[in-house]
Amino acid sequence: MGNITLGRYIPLDSPVHKLDPRAKIMAMLLVLVAIFFPAGWLGYGIIFLAVSFMIILSKLSFNFIWKSMKPMMFMMFFLFIINCLVLKTGTPLLTIGKFAIYSDAVKQTLYIVVRLLLMIMITTCLTATTKPLDLTLGIEDLLSPFGKIGVPSHEIAMLISIALRFIPDLIDETQRIIKAQESRGVDLKEGKIMERIMAVLSLIVPLFVSAFQRAEDLANAMEARGYAPGEPRTRYKVLKMRRSDWLLLLGAALLLAGMIFLAFFA
Amino acid sequence: MPIEFEHVSYIYSDGTPFRYVALSDVNLNIEEGKMTAVIGRTGSGKSTLVQHLNALLLPSEGKVKVLDRVIEAGSKPKQLKSLRGQVGLVFQFPEYQLFEETVLKDVAFGPKNFGVSEADAAEKARKALKLVGLDESYEQRSPLELSGGQKRRVAIAGILAMDPSVIVLDEPTAGLDPQGTVDMMKLFRELNKKHGKTILIVTHDMEQVFTFCDNVIVMENGKPRISATVGEFFKDSSLCREMDILPPALIRMKDALREKGFRFDGNVNDMNALAGAIVKQVKKHG
Ligand SMILES: Nc1ncnc2c1ncn2[C@@H]1O[C@H](COP(=O)(O)OP(=O)(O)OP(=O)(O)O)[C@@H](O)[C@H]1O
Ligand SMILES: [Mg+2]
Repeated sequence: MGNITLGRYIPLDSPVHKLDPRAKIMAMLLVLVAIFFPAGWLGYGIIFLAVSFMIILSKLSFNFIWKSMKPMMFMMFFLFIINCLVLKTGTPLLTIGKFAIYSDAVKQTLYIVVRLLLMIMITTCLTATTKPLDLTLGIEDLLSPFGKIGVPSHEIAMLISIALRFIPDLIDETQRIIKAQESRGVDLKEGKIMERIMAVLSLIVPLFVSAFQRAEDLANAMEARGYAPGEPRTRYKVLKMRRSDWLLLLGAALLLAGMIFLAFFA
Repeated sequence: MPIEFEHVSYIYSDGTPFRYVALSDVNLNIEEGKMTAVIGRTGSGKSTLVQHLNALLLPSEGKVKVLDRVIEAGSKPKQLKSLRGQVGLVFQFPEYQLFEETVLKDVAFGPKNFGVSEADAAEKARKALKLVGLDESYEQRSPLELSGGQKRRVAIAGILAMDPSVIVLDEPTAGLDPQGTVDMMKLFRELNKKHGKTILIVTHDMEQVFTFCDNVIVMENGKPRISATVGEFFKDSSLCREMDILPPALIRMKDALREKGFRFDGNVNDMNALAGAIVKQVKKHG
């Protein structure tokens, strides 16, 4: 559990880390949309190369990206099984007794898997290179135009940033409690059903207690420092779009345009 | 059987960008039947070290010998539960581990996990609660509505109720009131002296080390820098000063008196002895 890499910020010194979070979020959205156009293998190849280029620029190791994908592997396998059972079109590739795996099942699964992998690569590239706080600043700014139609952009951003802020803490806390209860003879891996239920209970109760405690402490600390939602606030960090940010957006827009072209006109 | 660390290293989050070497090439010998203090700065690896004793952390390199068990890097040790029943570990800030409806049930949770019957577990829990200074009126209260210090006592009782032969305590008195702290230390000393328990205690309080412990281990940057008897370590303040530790008041007093011309031998280890030595020397000169 300590090795969860999905969504974690990796402090490195790279050009990608220095980009404006708004540009990165927008670019991510553009490329995510691009992925959904049926642009064929050529299209996915181009996106893959573009994203790989960003990953290399950001100095993240591919090993790290690979680790963020691993939790998805089970899901993908499951998907493959279902597709094999359901899709019976195309040419049969492999026949086992009465049962046959058809080419369309494999093709469909591959399409979905490739899309999923690309999406994970892209989002990891964003979350690993952007501090959670910058990420929320970016989201707040991007949402602010919708304030006129009643979207509470600041509150949403604050919610996201607090949630992000608490994830690593809660993981640490869970591990601490697991260790403390293991010291008292809790066995999470073996035991009869009643013992297992007790074991889980001995983790959940303290975890809830400490999560609520933390939430209350944080709320008090924020209020003590004069925080009131909805009130105007100044900012410590002012975001500024630079040339490299516009370049990133341009690149993402071109990628999207290219996919649309490949999907409908080529 | 002493507890031995042989070339033990421990690395957190190995293979990720957060890799951190918390222990490096630790060689240690912790005497059986003694009360040993582990001191050292914040982040020096004390908690990491003590979590190896009941195999909550397994060494990344080297081996740890505890009781009749050898835990080696790379091997998947089995039956850790029996080890954990023999080596009781009280975590830093253990008050967060309480979860049962009543204090009594929570304290009985440990023994029950190790196969003690319901009735016996409750009996052990009652005894343990008495030891840590909580009377019967606490038994049926919810552990979640106690004060911080009371929760701490319940958590410590939860480990004592398991009746382990080695007791490891990670900063058990941090945040307790002064009287509570002394009571707690006296209890540990008694468990050590009367019941022959091997005790390892992580602390920042030099007075506790000086007054209650037999041996002392100083951790620095993931390595034991010094492993000595309390007598050797506090012979004078030079070792402490070298480690950037404020020596206990008695030692500082002795140093100040030495500067003024007093002489003390190694046996002056408490207030009474010091007063006696001063009176003797004053009389001799007066
Ligand atoms: N779960 C973890 N993951 C990564 N690094 C950790 C983890 N736990 C501790 N560390 C690091 O290992 C080092 C030693 O930590 P440890 O908790 O053993 O210190 P300590 O001597 O007990 O400190 P303190 O006196 O504050 O309790 C610290 O620098 C800490 O940042
Ligand atoms: Mg510690």
